[in-house]
Amino acid sequence: MRILLSAISTLLPLLFASIAPAAVDAASCFECHDKKLFKDTVTHQPVLESKCSFCHNPHVARYKGLLRDQESVLCYSCHDESRKQFSIGVVHDPVSKGQCSVCHTPHASSEKGLIPSDLAENCYACHTKLNKEYKVPHKPYADGKCSSCHTPHQADNLQLLSDKPDALCLSCHQDETILANGHKDYPVDLKGCLSCHNPHGSERKALMRDFLHQPYVEDCASCHQGEAKVGMATCLKCHEKTGKEMLSNHSHITIQDGNSCLNCHSPHAGNDKALLKNREKLVCYSCHGETLRRYKKTISKHPPVDKCSNCHAPHGSRNLSMLKSDGNAVCVQCHETQGNFTHPVGPDVLDKHTGQMLTCITCHNPMGTKFKYHMVQEGKRDLCVLCHRAY
Amino acid sequence: MTCVYCATGPINNMFKMTLDQNKWSVRNQMNIISGLPPLSLLLLLSFFAGYHVEVVHAASPWVWDRVLKQDLVNDAMMMPTSLYIDGDKGLYYVVDSGRNRLLSFNRKGELLNIFNAGKALDIPFDMVKTDAKGVWIVEKGRNSLSYIDLKEKKVTPNSLTYNGKIIYPDRIEADAGILYVINKATGDIISYSEKLEARTRFSCSECAWGFVDFKIHDGKLWALDQAGQTIRCFNLDGKLIKTFELGKSVIFPVSLAIGPTGYMYVLDRQRRSVAAYDRSGVFKYRFLKKGITRGQLYYPTEIRFDPWGELCLVDEGNAKVEIFKR
Repeated sequence: MRILLSAISTLLPLLFASIAPAAVDAASCFECHDKKLFKDTVTHQPVLESKCSFCHNPHVARYKGLLRDQESVLCYSCHDESRKQFSIGVVHDPVSKGQCSVCHTPHASSEKGLIPSDLAENCYACHTKLNKEYKVPHKPYADGKCSSCHTPHQADNLQLLSDKPDALCLSCHQDETILANGHKDYPVDLKGCLSCHNPHGSERKALMRDFLHQPYVEDCASCHQGEAKVGMATCLKCHEKTGKEMLSNHSHITIQDGNSCLNCHSPHAGNDKALLKNREKLVCYSCHGETLRRYKKTISKHPPVDKCSNCHAPHGSRNLSMLKSDGNAVCVQCHETQGNFTHPVGPDVLDKHTGQMLTCITCHNPMGTKFKYHMVQEGKRDLCVLCHRAY
Repeated sequence: MTCVYCATGPINNMFKMTLDQNKWSVRNQMNIISGLPPLSLLLLLSFFAGYHVEVVHAASPWVWDRVLKQDLVNDAMMMPTSLYIDGDKGLYYVVDSGRNRLLSFNRKGELLNIFNAGKALDIPFDMVKTDAKGVWIVEKGRNSLSYIDLKEKKVTPNSLTYNGKIIYPDRIEADAGILYVINKATGDIISYSEKLEARTRFSCSECAWGFVDFKIHDGKLWALDQAGQTIRCFNLDGKLIKTFELGKSVIFPVSLAIGPTGYMYVLDRQRRSVAAYDRSGVFKYRFLKKGITRGQLYYPTEIRFDPWGELCLVDEGNAKVEIFKR
């Protein structure tokens, strides 16, 4: 054993030494590649030092652009101090995927941090829905200064906000008189700015969100009685159906100053009819962030859907995982033919182990597994023999 | 000492002890390792991987013993949510929320009776007994703490209030004739007399989502703070005595139980496992994993000790209660 280990310890370094970067004269590179294109106000250090071969293999490589290794591996080989930081909290998608060049130009740029000169355009290349023209735009948004509020790599706050939303707003909007005048009848301390205001822009003055709650338009007193907090009961007086949905063994009645509704909904204004505080997925992830992290990490999963509520009942449900209905009906909404196919499923087919109705989610976990087709076990054998032992 | 293979955190004392007991010559292995380059070290560590996992599971003293279930076609248990144990009678009661009924089992795990109160129950969720005459049931469908008079076969719904506001009963416990109820809308625990007069409130201003479960043990109330991942121990007069930080050993804790020796057990729904802590709150070991077969968890909801020192786990996903003994 010791001899074998000694042999491995001797040979492995030799093997890897053979593929270490070989120094190549950059002058050879610039015989074909225009040198001017590699210089700007800010030039990447290896380029400045003419060390093209630090990142590129001049002859052959597995990676696009003749890169010696995966992009992130190359970047972190120098910027290692960032690696740990970039894995904490809410991480920007390209960062988590190691795609540094989505935002950074690797050779030279006119801007510090090797970012493109028009940062906002670069952001909109991915965040296509955010590129809108508003009648009343927020100044930083209109100026394309995304980084006034958002951090590019990671943050402690959802949507990569550089601080808590209210703190961010108040860092500029400090004039107490204006704030007081604009919120004359506001019955409680000013907080939750984003529940009414759209930080990018709006068709309404004061960046009020597009859809207004009818009682807010008509009469504050229909909900507010003096300075007392408005409880869930007040909401449910009108939204009776929702109240019934919440009386389930799984419900979203949760703590929020005694009014669970305000966990997800704004009482005054929103971007849609449901007056959600944010895009639905982000509202869900504000509590279920761990679910998102696990979903992102799993290998095989259901493709992203636009809304969690396509499958889950947001107020309450009598089904596992707060599904809208049982594990067949939810899937068949989209997978129409899958409800009537090969393997028997439905109320008359029970899982031998649990006595529960066999459904799509008996074998598949849409939130992701390590097995193909997001099966809960390896599909060629292991999954089947859980029930069909004789096979 | 931190596990170098999976970096899950400190390797507990039991792990170290098991290594010693097995006479695994760690020092000799490390001597060999220290002379090797990093890549070779990684190769060698892969040998340790299987060993490590085995040791962590071996650290749990709990073994599967029996199951409480009803799995007949069209009559199978559906989403059981809680368990009540009548120590005097030696009976287990399972609340079958999906089929609006209660099921009783004897200590061997044999089904004795199915009770649906004349189909009067509306999404029962949790139950306790305070006397021989009847049972208290949290009915989610009615938002009620209902009393069932077993002799009269009569269900009396009760809407609970605290300081004039309606509360949403969730988990319930009883001790010395007092009922303790979690208000799901605030995360507080409120105690009530049998006449349903509010008495004491157990609350936590720092707990973002309030309490999700609690147990009364040894004259104290132990409450689980899900978002902050702490266990808060109160005197029964509502005074906080101690806080135990669970740290990163759990992801989504949903229930807790206090063992006869004072060990704390926390059921983690997303990890599908139980984490055990000693009386000082130090993480000791974790056991069980995701699955549908014996001794595995799918969507577990509650953990509870029976009076005989056995650990019971209610699993609504697998629709059964599994009982483990040491």
